Formats: sequence, C-alpha cells, structure tokens
Amino acid sequence: MKSIGRRASTLYALILLFLAGCGLLYFNLVTNANDWAMNRANKHLYSDGALSTAGDILDANGNILVTTENGKRVYSDNKNLRIALLHTVGDTSGYISNGVQTAFKDELTGYTLLDGVYNLKRYGKGNDIKLTLNSKVCETAYRALGNKKGTIGVMNYKTGEIICVVSTPTYDINNKPTDIDTDTTGKYEGIYLNRFFSGVYTPGSTFKVLTAICAIENIPDIDDKTFECKGKILIGEGYVICNGTHGKINFEKALNKSCNCAFAKIAGELGAEKLMATAERIGFNANMPDISGKIHCSKSRIDLTESSALDIGWAGIGQYTTLINPCHMLTVMGAIANGGIAQTPYLVSTITSPEGKTVFSAKESTAGEFLTADVAKKADEMLRSNVKNRYGDSYFPQMSFCGKTGTAEISDDKNVKPNTLFVGYSQLDNMPFAIIVILEDTTSSLYEAVPVASKVMKAVKSEYVK
Amino acid sequence: MKVGDDMNILKGKNVNLALMLFVVTLFEVTCLFTLLSKAEEQYKMNIIITMGVYILVQFAYFFGAKIILKRKGFEVELIAFLLTSIGLSITASAYPTLAVKQLIAVLIGVCGFVFVQWLLRDIDRIMFLRIPIAICAVGLLAFTLVFAQITNGAKNWLYIGGLSIQPSELVKVAFIIVGAATLERLQSNRSLTKFIVFALGCVGSLFLMYDFGTALIFFFTFIVISFMRSGDIRTLALVCTGAFMGGLLVLMFKPYVANRFASYGHVWECFDTSGFQQTRTMIYSTSGGLFGVGLGNGKLRDIYAATEDLVFGVVCEEFGMIMAGAILLSYVALLVYSIRHSKYARSSFYAIVACAAAALMLFQASLNVFGVNDILPMTGVTLPFISRGGSSIMCCWMLMALIKSVDRSTYRFGGVRQ
Repeated sequence: MKSIGRRASTLYALILLFLAGCGLLYFNLVTNANDWAMNRANKHLYSDGALSTAGDILDANGNILVTTENGKRVYSDNKNLRIALLHTVGDTSGYISNGVQTAFKDELTGYTLLDGVYNLKRYGKGNDIKLTLNSKVCETAYRALGNKKGTIGVMNYKTGEIICVVSTPTYDINNKPTDIDTDTTGKYEGIYLNRFFSGVYTPGSTFKVLTAICAIENIPDIDDKTFECKGKILIGEGYVICNGTHGKINFEKALNKSCNCAFAKIAGELGAEKLMATAERIGFNANMPDISGKIHCSKSRIDLTESSALDIGWAGIGQYTTLINPCHMLTVMGAIANGGIAQTPYLVSTITSPEGKTVFSAKESTAGEFLTADVAKKADEMLRSNVKNRYGDSYFPQMSFCGKTGTAEISDDKNVKPNTLFVGYSQLDNMPFAIIVILEDTTSSLYEAVPVASKVMKAVKSEYVK
Repeated sequence: MKVGDDMNILKGKNVNLALMLFVVTLFEVTCLFTLLSKAEEQYKMNIIITMGVYILVQFAYFFGAKIILKRKGFEVELIAFLLTSIGLSITASAYPTLAVKQLIAVLIGVCGFVFVQWLLRDIDRIMFLRIPIAICAVGLLAFTLVFAQITNGAKNWLYIGGLSIQPSELVKVAFIIVGAATLERLQSNRSLTKFIVFALGCVGSLFLMYDFGTALIFFFTFIVISFMRSGDIRTLALVCTGAFMGGLLVLMFKPYVANRFASYGHVWECFDTSGFQQTRTMIYSTSGGLFGVGLGNGKLRDIYAATEDLVFGVVCEEFGMIMAGAILLSYVALLVYSIRHSKYARSSFYAIVACAAAALMLFQASLNVFGVNDILPMTGVTLPFISRGGSSIMCCWMLMALIKSVDRSTYRFGGVRQ
C-alpha cells in the first residue's frame, strides 16, 4: 500500500504540468485581452466588420461627432464637419488607422479585462470620449484648404489642447467615393492618412526658425552681423540660390525676407554638430509621445552627419533631407510662444462611462524646456517682426501674430510645384494658439498659405476671444 | 496496519454538506432564473423541467446518501453536481429543445454513478467480471468501427433508433476497471501482457476511427495504470517512446492526419479557415472579462460546436474567467483527492482506479481547454461534465464512482469519519 501511495504522489507532477498550462493560458488571455476582444470578428462590438456599439465622440463644446443609433455608427449631420474630421474621428472599418475610433476602441466600447464587454451589454454602449477639437475651427480650416492637399493644425500652446486637425484629401464617410481604389489621377493620394499626425514634410524656409534659434544660442554677436546677398552664394562646390537679391542685410531682416544666402552662411558657421544638437534637443529624431497616449505621430528627422558644406547650407534653409512632422513642428512653435516650454499636445479631454462617471480626464504636461526663456524671447521677437514688417498684420488683425512662411521644393522637375507652409502663433494671453498650415502643390507661401492661416485664426479668434 | 491513526489526517476535513449544498443549489437556482428570463415562451417549460428535476435529483441523492445510508464525505458529488449544472445550464440556454434529453443523460449518469459504486464494492465480483467487461468493451469498439458513420471526420458515433451514442466514452470506464483488475493480483508478465493486448485493441480501434483525441486519452490512462501497478518507469518510457515513434510514422504516411493539426501554434494566421474555432474561442473568452457577460448573453454559442468542443470559451464568456478557472481547479481537486486517499485505500485496485479516473479527466480537460486556446493541438475531445453530450456526461459520472471508491468511508470500511 505504501508503494501505491508513493506512486500516486508522482501524479502530483501531472497537476503541476496542468497548473503550468493553466498559468500560460491565463497569461495569454490576460495579456492579449484587449487585442483579442477588439478583434473585428467579435460580434459583441462589430457588425459586418464595422464597430457597431460604441460610445459617442464629442467636440470640446459637447457637439456629437459620432454616436451609435440602432447598432449603427451615426456621424454628425453637418457634411463639411464630417469631411473635415474624417481622419481625426476615424472610421470603424479600419481604413483610417490613426483615428480616435480605432485608437480608442477599447475606451469607446468600454471593454475592460475586469468586466469584459458587460457594460456594453448593460448600457448598449461604451464610454463617451470628449475631444479638445473645436468643430467650427475645423470646419473653417477644411473650407480654407479648399481642394488642395495638405494639413492644418491648431493647438493651445499653454495647455497642449489640439483644437483643430484637418487633413486633405478627405471624403464624406457617409458617402465614400467608389473610385478610391481604382483612381489613377492621384487625387486620392494618401486619402486614408492623417497628414497632421502621420505625415512628414520638407520644411523649406520654416526651418530657418530653427537655424535662427541655433544661431541665437551659439553666436553671441549674431545681431551685429550683416550678410551680403547677391542672389546666390558659393559654398564648397556649388551655389545656394536665394529667392531674391537682398544686398546687405542683418539677422532680423534676413529672417523677415527669408534670405537663403544669409541662412546658408549662418548654417555653415554653426556647422552640422550644433544644428543637429539644437534640432535633437527640440525633438527631432525622437518619437513624440503618442497623442493622448494612443495616436502615433511620425518623427521629424534630421541627419547632417555625413553632409558636405553645401549640404549644410541647404539644410540651414530647410532644403536638405530634413523632414518635419506637422504636429511636432506645431509643438516647437508652441514652445517658442510659451517661453521655451513645450506643452505636450493632446486630443482627448475626458472619457465618461455610461453611468456618467469620468473615467479619464486629461492632465496638462510639458514635453520639456525646448529653449531657454531668453532664446525663446529673442526668437519670438523675430517671428513677430516677420508678420509685422513683412507679411502684414492685416492677415491677423489684433492678434499680435508671429510666424514664418516656407516654400519647400520637393523635386528638381520644374513642373512639380512646391509645398507651401506657414507656422505661427498669437502672442495674446487670451488667444494662446499656434497654427501650422501646409499646402501641397502650391506656389506662394505668402499668397496661399498665409491667407489660409488667416481664415483659420480669425475663426479661432471669434470662437475663443469674446 | 494503523490505518485509523494515519487517517486522522483526513478526518475532520469533511466539507459542511448543508452549507455546500446550499451554495450549489443557490447557483443552480440563479442559473434557472437567468435561463427563464432569456428564454422564449415555448421553451420555458423545458427549462423548468430540466433544471427543476435536476435540483430535485440532487437533493434526493444527498438525502439518500446522508440520511438513509448515513454516508460521509461528499466532496466528489458536490463537484460533480456543480460542474454538471454548469453544462446543463449552457445546454438549456443554447439548445432548450435538447435540454430534457441532456437531463435524461445526466440522470442515467447519476444512476450509473450509484451502480458502479455498488459494482466496485466487492472486489471478487470485479475479478470475476473483468474478462466479460473487457470482451464487451473491445467488442463495442469493434462494432462501432464496423457500423459507425463518419461524423466530423471521426468514425466514432453509433446511431441506434433516434439516439446517437459515442461508445468510446463508455469504454473509458471499462478500460480503467479492467486495467486495474487485470493487474490486481497476479503480478505476472502474463497479466501485464493481457492488459497490453486489451489496451492495444482499444487504442488501435480508436485510431482506426480517426478519434485521435480519445486514443491519446486511452494511451495516457494506460500509462497511468501501468505505472501505478508496476512503478517501472523504464519500461513505460520505452512504451512512450515506441508510441511516439508510431505516432510519427502515422503522421508521415498519413499526411491528412497531420493536416488536422496544421493550424496549431498559428491559429491567428488561419483566422477564417482551420483556426476559426480557436480564434473565436479566444476572442469571446476575453470578451467575458473576469465575471462574464451573463448566461445567455454570449456570442461564441453561435459558432459551430460551441457547447461541445468550445464550451470552455462559452464558460469564460458567459460565466467569466474566474469561474472558468474554478472549473479547471476542480479537476485538479479530484486528482488531489484520489492521490491523498490512495495511501489508505482498501486495496491497490481502488487506488489505481481512482487515480486513473481522475488523471484521465484532468488529461481530457487539458486536451480540450488547451486545444481550443492553441496551447496544444485541437483534438476535439469534450470538457468533462461541461460539454453537451450524453455519452460524455454518463462517462464522467461513472468515473466519479471510480474516484469515490478510493475513499474508505464510501463503503464504510476502516472506521473513519464516524
């Protein structure tokens, strides 16, 4: 009998094996819970592959952008708003990967490991998500973009709230064009992409802001220097061509007139290391934290490690391999406006459970001190000078506006039009907003990008300055 | 033998029957009301009959055993009744028309439980019956092999009248009894050979039926019984190696067998094809969260074989992962129970049948649960007590009798628990 008892005890090994298997099983279930439960085949959440039962998405003023009615997602009845917010709100069938509906599907469905989809069963819907977006501003931005491809973003540089994101081309989610997949004209190029978060662009002259910052930091007598502009400048084996012939010109005027000769020279004086050091300190070559923890941003890139003197000259005026992400660039502008402190941009302000309990409330946070207060102040003055002395305050009446235009050549082919850009912000305490406008396939930053920014900022003013 | 002293360890550990019965009944009544709240009008009577009769039978059993027969120690039955009620509730919820049929199978199972307990009481009776049982078992499998129709790729169902039965389930019980009895007294090579021939007959027939899951269970049980009897790990290692090689040969020469398990390890890549059932099980298991979406609210039940092969996913989804974990632990508890009582069993026969039965159940649960969650290849065996299916539930209840027989107090031997 003893031997039987001993042999029986050997069976404890089986139990251990079994428990190990159970451990693995539960480890799998728990660690993959969100991915698995959110699978498109889950009929609790999806019907015909589209999210059918989820909470509402609201704008900052509580207007409903999308809700669930009878198991179907119903979008705002304002067509322009639907089109303007296509990428930011996102779809439920997975074409737009970086939208709120995809990135926050766990929250929208109210799925938690603890309760599973129980709340969804009980309330018929998940959590509501309130965004920081202002619908009027977004709609205005969409209209201002017209039929051009590009993106506009506006953020509050004191808090980090993103109040406007629009990306074109776009479409009406209630009436999706049928020829998207078959079109060969390129009019739908990148239509599923949110250019503001996921795009990267050649910065063109907007990069001069960063070259200027680097100069302020590293060349103590930069204001006393003058630069000679004869329309082009020989650096190393080649020329950097200017947009005009500016003659003798100081640092501030060089930025006002966006003088390529002056900035190529300054870049050469600074050298690759210092330019890269400044750029990397303000977030180049690093992933931005995901917006509201979920929406991924592409990273801005700069690499001057193996560049010739001529390359560095071109890089100083934003025409080298350097690429900026619109959301990151906007954050940098915000930092200049905010005394050097960059606020982390965010898009989701609150998440409310079906019982009305606030389960998440956004907290402001800083992305770091990008610039010292002195450098920020000096850069701020120069950007103010750009608008005041060059572009004209009439575009931004009573906004005490600062900014920089840019025209980015993206091809040697003369038939390919450049992209035009504008980055800027208001200095006013009651209107702490920064903007970025990028228009693809356009010619004049001053006559195309700036007026678009003007329209949007006027809408911002009427919404926020009472 | 100082059984009395040693067994004091086990003494006093009896669960409080009244309290536990109350908890189990509370659970069942909750299930009943949940079922009624979801059911369509025409099925309500079916549900009331099913769950009502079940609860009554449960009380009748405990009344008879406790008050009339003055038995003690009801851990095994409590687990069996609780698990059965979960399976019965799921069946009544998903297939209200089949609920009564399933109930009848449960009742037959409970009768079988009582009958097998009686059968095992007298060891001489078992010795006398072991050859006829063995012949019946192999005969039944052979009969199935000849007359069964192929259902779901396996030739393991017999259709008699309107009833379909899976003989291999009933043979499981016979297999353990015969195995333990054959090796009971004559520890000679001859008796071992007899058992090996018998085991080969069973496993071989199952292989020919393409019922690989059950074949594996039989093989595993054969190993457990042989080990418990001989303690000869070397020989068993040899047998296992031989079987492993044999298995490899089958896979080599019969590639369609391997195809059955082709999606193993990467079911998410075979999302809508061979990994369909597994991925859906995982999706809906996690949908339930820790506490489940509630009986009747699940979606996994719409997937093919949800209440049979995938039933663990249904439990996770509707009862929650904690309840599912509790079910897994109850299989563990049955084996622990058997192991602990083995030392004090009336004879090694009882130790072997109990350990073999509990180990079989644990192994079968592993194949089922880990199979649908892609931790093991999916073999399509049932989850003991929970899966819908008459043969399966009857087998489970009779296995319970084997487990129960190891406890001396079952037959009121040894003077403990008084």
